Amino acid sequence: MYYIDLAVTGVSFGCMYAMMSVGLTLVYGLLRILHVAHAAVFALGAYVVVLVANATGSIALGFLAAVIVTPLFGIAIYRLLYEPLLRYRPDVPMIASVGLLVLMQDAFRIMFGEQGVTFRQNALSFTTFDFHGVTISAVQIALIVTAAVVFAGLHLFTTRTRTGLGWRATVSRPKIAASFGVDPVKVRYLNFAIGSALAAVAGGLVALLNNLVDPSIGFVVSYKALAIIVLGGLGSVRGTLVASLVLGLVEAYGTIFIGAWLDRDAIAFLALIVLLMIRPQGFTGARTA
Amino acid sequence: MLIRNRRLSALAAGSLSSLAGLVVLATFAASPARADVKIGFQAPLTGPAATDGKSAQIAAGMAVEDINAAGGVLGQKVQLVTYDDQAKSDQAIFTANKLIGEDGVKLVVNGSYSASGRAAAPVFQKAGVVMIAAYGVHPDITRAGDYMFRLVHLGPPQGAATALYIGKTLGLKKISTITMDNDYGQATMDGFIEAAPKYGVEVVNKYSYSLKDRQFGSIVASVKRDNPDGVYATGYFFTGGPLVAQLRAAGITVPIIGSQAFDSEKFIEIAGPAAEGTYIIDSFDRDRKDEALQKFFTEFKQRAGYAPEGVAAITYSAVRLMADGIKRANSAEPDKVRDALAATKDFPLLEGNMNGFNSLHEMIMPIQVNEIKGGKFTPAGSITDLNAFAPPEK
Amino acid sequence: MSAYTISIVSIIGINVILAVSLNMISGFCGQISLGHGAFFGAGAYAAALAMVATASVPLALLAGVVAGSVLGILVGFASLRVRSDFLAVSTIGVNFLFVGFVRKQSWLGGEMGISGIPPTGFGASGNMIMILLLACATVVFSLYVSRSWMGFAFRAVGEDEQAAATLGIGAGAYKLAAFGIGTALAGLAGALYAFFTQFITVDAFDFILSVMLMAMVVIGGIGSTWGVVAAAVGLTLLPEAIRFVNDYRLLVFGGMLVLVIRLAPGGLAALVHNLFARTRKA
Repeated sequence: MYYIDLAVTGVSFGCMYAMMSVGLTLVYGLLRILHVAHAAVFALGAYVVVLVANATGSIALGFLAAVIVTPLFGIAIYRLLYEPLLRYRPDVPMIASVGLLVLMQDAFRIMFGEQGVTFRQNALSFTTFDFHGVTISAVQIALIVTAAVVFAGLHLFTTRTRTGLGWRATVSRPKIAASFGVDPVKVRYLNFAIGSALAAVAGGLVALLNNLVDPSIGFVVSYKALAIIVLGGLGSVRGTLVASLVLGLVEAYGTIFIGAWLDRDAIAFLALIVLLMIRPQGFTGARTA
Repeated sequence: MLIRNRRLSALAAGSLSSLAGLVVLATFAASPARADVKIGFQAPLTGPAATDGKSAQIAAGMAVEDINAAGGVLGQKVQLVTYDDQAKSDQAIFTANKLIGEDGVKLVVNGSYSASGRAAAPVFQKAGVVMIAAYGVHPDITRAGDYMFRLVHLGPPQGAATALYIGKTLGLKKISTITMDNDYGQATMDGFIEAAPKYGVEVVNKYSYSLKDRQFGSIVASVKRDNPDGVYATGYFFTGGPLVAQLRAAGITVPIIGSQAFDSEKFIEIAGPAAEGTYIIDSFDRDRKDEALQKFFTEFKQRAGYAPEGVAAITYSAVRLMADGIKRANSAEPDKVRDALAATKDFPLLEGNMNGFNSLHEMIMPIQVNEIKGGKFTPAGSITDLNAFAPPEK
Repeated sequence: MSAYTISIVSIIGINVILAVSLNMISGFCGQISLGHGAFFGAGAYAAALAMVATASVPLALLAGVVAGSVLGILVGFASLRVRSDFLAVSTIGVNFLFVGFVRKQSWLGGEMGISGIPPTGFGASGNMIMILLLACATVVFSLYVSRSWMGFAFRAVGEDEQAAATLGIGAGAYKLAAFGIGTALAGLAGALYAFFTQFITVDAFDFILSVMLMAMVVIGGIGSTWGVVAAAVGLTLLPEAIRFVNDYRLLVFGGMLVLVIRLAPGGLAALVHNLFARTRKA
């Protein structure tokens, strides 16, 4: 039962990582920018969920507000910060992105307090189910179900709809896609909108899981997400999903078995470096640019 | 080569002169009213440690107002000179030097973490400035010299007292331990693990987590498997809250014992109903019939918008103690204040009366324990066997 | 000079060494490293251990340099294997691994760090002068490298590896050299830092520091030694200069970082260059 408990922890966390990382990997695929400020989007999502839920008494309304607000914020980041910097080396927009993250983190602290915000009513956090000795909490189930729905939806969207096909084509073959009449700028907006909404959902679920949103909520997750997107072979959604789940599991078991000599937050990067030494092209093989 | 060198020296000179300009500017901006007794104050006002820094700052401000309302010291007002150190060592060195050199401060309260107190201590010691570390727990702070004082129990003695409480008072045998990975968490746990066998406490398994963790799934599953009589965890309220909630959610019903920094109303808010029955060691008795304490509670809540935690209470007490030292020394000369502080006897802190300082200027005081009952901190006895957790003398 | 000024000038000197050395790796040779803090930390830890054991300043400096460059050459080898896209993230990984590993090592003091590092015996101003001299030496060395054949080869590798190969410049050896030199200097800075604070904890070498160093390089103008020096001085002084905003320091700092990059993406070097170009036209 113990090992199954660990697996549940790992998978639910993997699902969170996946939702957080997908936006990041797509931004990289399109623009070659390490979008570090994605962590601020994640945190913003968490704050919107908890604040709206506390104001209206409905957690669902909180999530609804978050998926409306964060895409606008994501698009604004692209429009105001990245677009003017696209012709410079990718480290330039990345440093700007870090600056934005520092600014946002402190803005959250100043606006919503250093103590963080908790849900006034959050029955979900304290609800657990017991299946023959395996414990699983309501939020963990929500994480897994949401991720499944999101990725299935994303798959249908990119294979069945015109817009989705155009998007996917632009990520993998920008020039050819453009010659088929796909507007690359629209694709970028779409990309930031969807990526930000997913990060916000992940942030909201983590907020429920912790029953706490503090200014540093996005910090660690964001850097792990960088490792994940490289593991997943930059720009690949499927690779990112696999890498997220694997990392969730490795961390769940690793915390116990190698925690004595290595910090949990470093496990992701250990995995990354080991993998890169064995397969320099990443998990899923080289992505044709 | 010559030309390059000249450019270099020009640059160096330029940056130095602009620096000097800055310094002059800062001196003007901070020029205080004369004849005030200045107390320097360092706290992390920005960055990840700002949670505690903010509480410390509010509490220190209240202490100064209370002192001045009661006539100040030596017929003068007390003035607080506050700098942000972000709980970082280099920032603590900068601000320590600034307090000494530009503000002419001779008495300091460090309301920050160990990284700051540890870096600032030798600087103040060398300049002959008295420093009271309000809640920095690294042993190096008081080892820096005789001008240093500490108003919080060191980590290892806290841990030893916890072992005594768990073994003797609660009568638990098998304990799983969960350590927070920073100096405070590690040092406290070390003290516990060393003392545990003395009280018949067996450590079944040891786990650790990082300060940034809020997710403890793997640890929770492992503790569940350990099936211990109790769980002892070190951490802050913002890690302890989620940890306790997750342990309880997994159906672990044994007593949970938390370390001092769990002590915050926010802990109860985060953990919700799961907080019930958690013991907090070295927590402060909020219901004590003490006028100063009750007044502090109401006023702090008004200003901060949340109830004061241990950090706030101890910082308030540290500023009060400094003022008391000045009064007893009948002088603001650091040497005299140092001697007066070293001779402190039965000083009323908000948390209760402290016995005094030992030869290393470590505080000696019984340790209070609280249990969360009905969503409130409820006294659960105190650990009075001072020898069981005597701080080091060197 | 007041003690406050001495302490700030010391840190400025250390940051100049760090930023200029990172500029050799990332600016000259185009190898993006976001893990410079790890090499800085390795140097600091090695120097601290050497200092505690022998109390010899030259030995501690040497230990810092060696530790920084050994780790750096290891990472350099890794950089030969991975795509440049991956390198940035791998070096972030190196930083997190370094911190995550040291944190758990009791022989390195674990969370408590290493304390009781004996003083150098030069006093605070003596230390500052040593730091400034070494910082100047680093700057001069960087200028020299940039004008030498090696600097040319670095730039060739950074701009286009294949083209460099046709000129007979083997990318591998030069990448290793860039990493070796840059990280040795970071190790040196680490030793100086250990002298300065006389105790070290691993939190001082985290990823945030590495990003700050990269910010100095980018704001100064990638590849420009003078620009990077100016940015290192500026970014170290900025938080001190805006002390009056107290609670809002990080907010203002982050905002200025965004603004500076948004308004001068080519860095100070490009700004100055454009200014000159404009006046010449006029």
